[in-house]
Amino acid sequence: MAMGDIAFNLLIFFVILARAQDDSHLQWQPAAAEEINAQGTAKVSVLIDNDNKYYVNGQQVGASQIAGEVDALLGDAPAGERIVLFKVHREAQALYFEPAIEAISEVGGDLVHVLEKSQD
Amino acid sequence: MRERRRNKLMVEPPSSATGDIAFNLIVFFLVCASVQPDSGRQQTLPRSEQESEEQSENIEVQLGRNTVMLNGNVLRQEDFDAALKRALTGKTRDEDRVVVVKSKADTPYHHWVTVTEMIESAGGIITIQTEEEQQVVVPGG
Repeated sequence: MAMGDIAFNLLIFFVILARAQDDSHLQWQPAAAEEINAQGTAKVSVLIDNDNKYYVNGQQVGASQIAGEVDALLGDAPAGERIVLFKVHREAQALYFEPAIEAISEVGGDLVHVLEKSQD
Repeated sequence: MRERRRNKLMVEPPSSATGDIAFNLIVFFLVCASVQPDSGRQQTLPRSEQESEEQSENIEVQLGRNTVMLNGNVLRQEDFDAALKRALTGKTRDEDRVVVVKSKADTPYHHWVTVTEMIESAGGIITIQTEEEQQVVVPGG
């Protein structure tokens, strides 16, 4: 019985550790688009939440830090492996999302807008 | 008289197995949650240093909070698609198909996504132009 408890606690520990790295806990609503494709896994995600805060792989950063953070995470990855998932709250304004697009573009990231399929 | 043997259908699992059952359930839900792929749209934006000095006259799209302008003309969103396709007709070179997207600060992302999707499906190559920062010196300030 104790073995089960130890395994359970270890699992919870690793789950919490992994959650600190991802952005699934952040609050945002994707914009809708008519044509979307399933995207593969990416090393980097840039997220703008419903409070217009920036996150790179789940860690909050300032607007001026995005380019540096993304560049460091992409490293020397060849073209085709430089996908950056861009997750923006649907009501975020150009004042916030355009500098992020520029930053990703500046460091040679392949921008992928994460969207949901429109209902109509 | 022969006694009929009752089948015991409700067998209670041993209590020592509950930990293992819980563990396997967690692993199952964890795997289910982590394999959900993101879906979206890839967009290639020309890097600023790659832009050539010599540029042909580009198509310009201006976005407001819920407005769209094509080369200075305000259009309804449903008319924009056709107007853009007309503007791109006969343009075969990549540099002629560049569409400069200028957005006002309050343009919402969902509006931007809708319009840029229309531009890409019409064959345009999107490039964004952000508002330049201007330093205004007030005399006598």
